[in-house]
Amino acid sequence: MPPTELSDLVGIEHSKLGYFHELQLKLEELKAANMETENRRQEIAAILDGITDVMMVLSENLKIISVNHVFRELFDDPAPEGKYCYQIFRGQDHPCPECPAFKSLSTNTVCKETAFFRINGVNRQYEMVASPIKNQDLPEYKVLIFKRDVTLEKEYQAKYYHAEKMATVGVLATGVAHEVNNPLMAISGYAEGIQRRLGRHWKSLPGELAGDLEEYTQTILRECQRCQQIVNSMLNFGHPEATTQSPVNINDVVMETLHLLHYHLKKRQNLTMRTELARNLPFVHGNAAQLKQVFLNLLTNAIDAIGEEEGVITVQSGVTDGMVRLEISDTGQGISADIRGNLFDPFFTTKPAGNGIGIGLSTCYTIVVKEHAGDIRLESEVGKGSTFIVDLPVPREEDDD
Amino acid sequence: MVITKFAIPEVISGHGSIEFVAKCALRLGAKRVFFVSDNGLEQSGWVDRVLDILDGNDLPAVYFDKVSSNPRDYQVHEGADLYARERCDVIIALGGGSPMDAAKGIGTLVGNGGRIGDFEGANRIMCPLPPMILIPSTAGSGSDVSQFCIITDVEREVKMSIISRSLVPNISIIDPDLLLSKDADLILASAIDAMAHAVESYVSKLATPITRMHSHKAIELIVKNIQPAVEDKDTEALRQLSIASTSAGMAFSNAGLGVLHSIAHSLGGMYDVLHGMVHPVLLPSVMRFNMRECTETMGTIGRIIAGARLCSDQQAALAGIDKLEELFASLGVNQRLRDLLPDQSSIEQICRVAIQDVCSLTNPRESSWRDLRGICEEAW
Repeated sequence: MPPTELSDLVGIEHSKLGYFHELQLKLEELKAANMETENRRQEIAAILDGITDVMMVLSENLKIISVNHVFRELFDDPAPEGKYCYQIFRGQDHPCPECPAFKSLSTNTVCKETAFFRINGVNRQYEMVASPIKNQDLPEYKVLIFKRDVTLEKEYQAKYYHAEKMATVGVLATGVAHEVNNPLMAISGYAEGIQRRLGRHWKSLPGELAGDLEEYTQTILRECQRCQQIVNSMLNFGHPEATTQSPVNINDVVMETLHLLHYHLKKRQNLTMRTELARNLPFVHGNAAQLKQVFLNLLTNAIDAIGEEEGVITVQSGVTDGMVRLEISDTGQGISADIRGNLFDPFFTTKPAGNGIGIGLSTCYTIVVKEHAGDIRLESEVGKGSTFIVDLPVPREEDDD
Repeated sequence: MVITKFAIPEVISGHGSIEFVAKCALRLGAKRVFFVSDNGLEQSGWVDRVLDILDGNDLPAVYFDKVSSNPRDYQVHEGADLYARERCDVIIALGGGSPMDAAKGIGTLVGNGGRIGDFEGANRIMCPLPPMILIPSTAGSGSDVSQFCIITDVEREVKMSIISRSLVPNISIIDPDLLLSKDADLILASAIDAMAHAVESYVSKLATPITRMHSHKAIELIVKNIQPAVEDKDTEALRQLSIASTSAGMAFSNAGLGVLHSIAHSLGGMYDVLHGMVHPVLLPSVMRFNMRECTETMGTIGRIIAGARLCSDQQAALAGIDKLEELFASLGVNQRLRDLLPDQSSIEQICRVAIQDVCSLTNPRESSWRDLRGICEEAW
């Protein structure tokens, strides 16, 4: 320790030490750290914003801790935090049975599950992924839930399967039609031949025989013509790729559809089919094959609605409010009010499992509303029957140019 | 010495200025105050007053009162531990030289760590101290404005002088109302302490025109006000004394002291004598000893004490010293060293230690321990 000198006491070079320098350094450090944190935060925020799935962080008992922007867009709730997940998604007071959160927490693994939710009046199918958030530092476990809307995906998938099936049926039908066409031609040709010969030899034949033969061949020809029509219907059905629209006579489409169902209808003795088709119906601009699919669906539904009971199906066509209207009514069980809203949703079905996948009416809706700018709706009374009403626009004169 | 320096804290003074203590602490960033004082101030109610003021400003405080007269090194360590444990941020000290020096020592350890003995001498403090607000309760020690801190090393029986600009507090609050609750003896001892500061700093080797101005004014005010302050507790006189003490403090903090304080520190280290009681005993002898080297200044001091007169500086100086002794006698203070020490055997040891004291450096007359012994013997 050097001895203290007078100059030490004056201490020109010594000042009261302050924290300024340290403070300045600290400030710089903090600024840099803050900037880094902010950058990282923005990066993470951008990543999170880029996620298009519904995202929620839930507590162990499924209370919502935080949600992402997709959630907020989906639900009109300004403060979902603190509410229960099942409250918001299902409006119920207990967790959903298919919830993957519990399994995820108990097994500490990522778990997946799909489920239907009715959100804003629309049925939606969600694929749910639950990842546990477990950390010693956290006072309690949490779980991260992703919900991806797979409704369209599943719908397209089902449509694809259906279309593929129909295409296969179409190919088969075309083949069958061609195969049947040739013998049909031969039968009708020979039947006509018999008739020609019969005309020439009418006098030489015993009176009763000639009359009988004439009647038989008439029947053969009539039935052949009917077969021809069925074959034509099948050939038309077999070419669904022809989606171009052209002027279509709805009455013709209805008749062709009824021909397709003729055999089916004949088996059901309890059913009475009435057709009240308006004459001079204007042409609509559309795709005959697609419209046939619509009518086929509606008629099949009507047949199913009547079931084994006695019943009447009425097909009525006409012009209402400048639209071509086709009404298909049945005297079946009717459709209760609470499910009427769901009727045109994909996957909605009232038929027992195995009898339908619920794609019919949603496809009809797509064809009529989306492809033909028309309208399809239902009037129904439980116990009395239902009427499906299809309106199709008539092209205005100038549109034809 | 051409280049000089003058460093002082912010000084807030006046009757009732103690009310500002909480606002000052808040301005210095206080969240939890470390408050140092002693039993005497507890009894007079000033400790509660300060705690009330802090409480009224929602400022929590940790109170530390383990401070004795002539604060000890272990007390300082204890205080620093408490400060750290309680996570305090601003130090407030209320009292005479002892609590204030203890607070400075605690601040030193808080900012720098280590043992208080590590900082003995000049400019050994390398890290900043927490903000300090000092409130002197006596008009004498000058610690509230000075860069000095005197702590007793119990083992070595030495009063260590720690000198650093960092020991100058941030704010000094001088409220003369505090003097009212002091008894006459303490007011007297403090005033004489201030007088000793003023006289020694006036003739110090490091005295500058600025420090001399303050020394001069301090002597003048003390001479004029000491009697009414001590005998009548005259409010105005007490106020003047507090100004004198502050001026003397500013002067000695920047100019340094002399052998009187060297001996007083040494003696206090060994015998735990009240600092203020040493000065009336030794001051006249030290003035006589130094007179040869600073006759002119001593003459000026003499004229302040004894009044203007037409005579040589030497005569004026001697007249002043005589007058001072008369004053001490009239105030009834002890003037003989034999009343402070049991016998003369320890004088040599006292003087050998004293000559090592930093204060000896600035004494106007070069001196050896033998010279100091001569002074002590004269005062016996």
